[in-house]
Amino acid sequence: MMRSHYQKAAAFMEQKLEQRPRGFDLFLKELFAMNVRAFQEDVKTVYVSGYAFPVELLRAFDVVLFDFEIACNNLPAATSGNGSSIMVTSENQGYSRDICSFHRLAIGCQLQGMLPKGDLYITSSYYCNGKAKTNEILANSERKESVLFDVPNEISDSSVQYVASQLKEIASRLETITGKKLDMDRLREAMQLSNKARSSLKDMHELMKTRPCPWDGATACLLELGGAMFWGTPVREEINQLLIREMKDRIKSGKLFPENHRVLWFPWVPVQTTNTFKILKENRVNIVMSEVARVWWSELDENRPFEALALKALQNLHVGAAEERVRSLMALTEEYNVDGAIHFSTPACYHETASFRLISDTLKGKGLSVLDLDGDMTDERNYSPERTLTKLMPFLDILASRDVGDNG
Amino acid sequence: MANDKRGNKKSIGWFCSYVPEEMIIAAGFEPVRLKGEMEKVKAADSYLFSNICPYVKNILESGLSNKFGNVEGIIFSNSCDGMRRLYDLWTQYVQTPFTYMLEIPKNRDEHGIKYLAAQFFDLKTRLEEAFDIEISNDHLSKAISFMNDRRTMVMDLFESQKEIPSRHQGSELLALCMEEATCPKEETTERIKNISGQSSASKHSQQKLPRIAVMGNLVDNPILFSMVESAGASVVFFDTCNGLIHYTNPVENGSDPIESLARRYLLKPPCVRMPGFGKRIERLEQLIEDYSIEGIIYNNLKFCDYSLFEAPQVEGFLRKSSFPFLVLENDYLWGDVERIRTRVEAFLEVVKDEFE
Repeated sequence: MMRSHYQKAAAFMEQKLEQRPRGFDLFLKELFAMNVRAFQEDVKTVYVSGYAFPVELLRAFDVVLFDFEIACNNLPAATSGNGSSIMVTSENQGYSRDICSFHRLAIGCQLQGMLPKGDLYITSSYYCNGKAKTNEILANSERKESVLFDVPNEISDSSVQYVASQLKEIASRLETITGKKLDMDRLREAMQLSNKARSSLKDMHELMKTRPCPWDGATACLLELGGAMFWGTPVREEINQLLIREMKDRIKSGKLFPENHRVLWFPWVPVQTTNTFKILKENRVNIVMSEVARVWWSELDENRPFEALALKALQNLHVGAAEERVRSLMALTEEYNVDGAIHFSTPACYHETASFRLISDTLKGKGLSVLDLDGDMTDERNYSPERTLTKLMPFLDILASRDVGDNG
Repeated sequence: MANDKRGNKKSIGWFCSYVPEEMIIAAGFEPVRLKGEMEKVKAADSYLFSNICPYVKNILESGLSNKFGNVEGIIFSNSCDGMRRLYDLWTQYVQTPFTYMLEIPKNRDEHGIKYLAAQFFDLKTRLEEAFDIEISNDHLSKAISFMNDRRTMVMDLFESQKEIPSRHQGSELLALCMEEATCPKEETTERIKNISGQSSASKHSQQKLPRIAVMGNLVDNPILFSMVESAGASVVFFDTCNGLIHYTNPVENGSDPIESLARRYLLKPPCVRMPGFGKRIERLEQLIEDYSIEGIIYNNLKFCDYSLFEAPQVEGFLRKSSFPFLVLENDYLWGDVERIRTRVEAFLEVVKDEFE
């Protein structure tokens, strides 16, 4: 079912691109096509998340990447607000509803036999306790090895070496799986491509500082979560360039969403359909940037590939003390000149929600309005449009009252 | 220098079983395992969402209420998502003269040992700087010997539980382990010696009772054990981070004490935070055999991701042999104790049926 869904979806996007090439559509087409390829028997499939692992390393091998979180949560059931129809399969096997809906859904997909067979299952230690355990469960179900890419919460020589040593071991595992030695030139090439796309992503973000904002920060978040799978490939640069062109065209033509207020969104975006974004648009509130979309890593040093990739992992926005996250959020609020910030909290994202008080106190201390919008990324049983409306309206009123204050 | 005005040794608190008490002892402090001290959580609710680990929340409440004002420092560890965020909140809203976040690798291999040794070395340096002391290899070696002796004494107690009937009540063992970890070491040594020196079964344990093991995450409240015992069964051991897991394996005192410590701590039986469901199930299988266990209670603190994922794996394994297994959830304060009691009693009826 998953394979046929993504086959149809990729074909649809292909058609759409033929009519009009657009960056986000290209991203979706590539993502869907990759999900289809993961099912092919003649390929080696590696379970991994682009936003949680320096995938440039994997690009040096002939492997297909598969992110179980993204693939499962973009199934029609999940996106249309019926994700629980799959989740109940895992819940009936003893997985509590206190577990993140993303992971209940992925285990449900596995129990229903929807997932492709992986040759290697990699996940990182920082996104999150639950994801690491889910990865292990999925690997065990195929009697395959799961690899926990363990990334400490501090950056030092010893942590860089510890992480680099794990990357070398993963490379060695991939050599065994693919039967090919790691080609260092190919790895360097992937790192060059990554650096180039990193640079153009920064250009995109510069354009988003324009008032009114020429793109949507929530969509930028989705691009970074899924599009991170394409770091180290030419297609990522292609996606970025198309988006830059679209934004420039919009700015030039003046065809932009009217903008009374600018908000920052953090951290995740709901996958299921919600009324949130419609309400914001109706009230001329633009999400001008999202936390996840920002470029949080340094340019990769191709001369020290393993250390550079280790550093990229260690610099991830969800590694380290919350203090660092607070600092970067504060910087975003200033750079994008926002009036407020919306925190979307999905219930079991403990490492994230437990930082909210610190973040909120700091942003409010700078005079910004902060809304904690509770919902669920994908479990419709934890989402209520009425509750969303009730929570959004006072926030919008506060934003509106700032106008009066500013003008008065 | 590490004495207070009354001459008592000053203490440094810790939470996780991966924090090396030896380092604290070598620094001249009393290591004290901290636990939630509040009967109600109010203030912490405004800092943490309702579905965050109740243990983490109780610790934060205790900190906000200055219940840990008597410690000179606290060593946190990156045990789980909740604990790492507790550290963030603590340093911002509570503050203690000395705090340290210890990274605990999850990969139990030579790379992990090397990294953990680097972390222990960094902790040593930070303690030396903060308290203007020197922690020598000799200090560390002595602390290692001291803690090894204590581990041996406690492990002897657990070992004696293999006898049928087991020698001690589970609640008695739990109280002793809690005392060992939370009270001044010298004060508890005699008591551990006395109990481990008992040559025969206590009066209570003369009769043969169904033998239950408790596993899961932290259990620092005797309520569950008392519940089992008053229902006519015996908690033979508890394989939790304050039970068997905490005391298993001594430190091999090698030429580099820090490396020796890292090796012991990382290679001790893995707690639920570590990857490898299979390894923990293999261990459980062996423990069931060694201790002649007839039922398992998997005790889970609410919202603990690690346990929420592990419990179905253990259940799946035990189901194959129809081994009695009960999963419980508690809110750390055991607020719904009567509901839990009903479930425990019903479970023990099943165990007793098979026992008879």
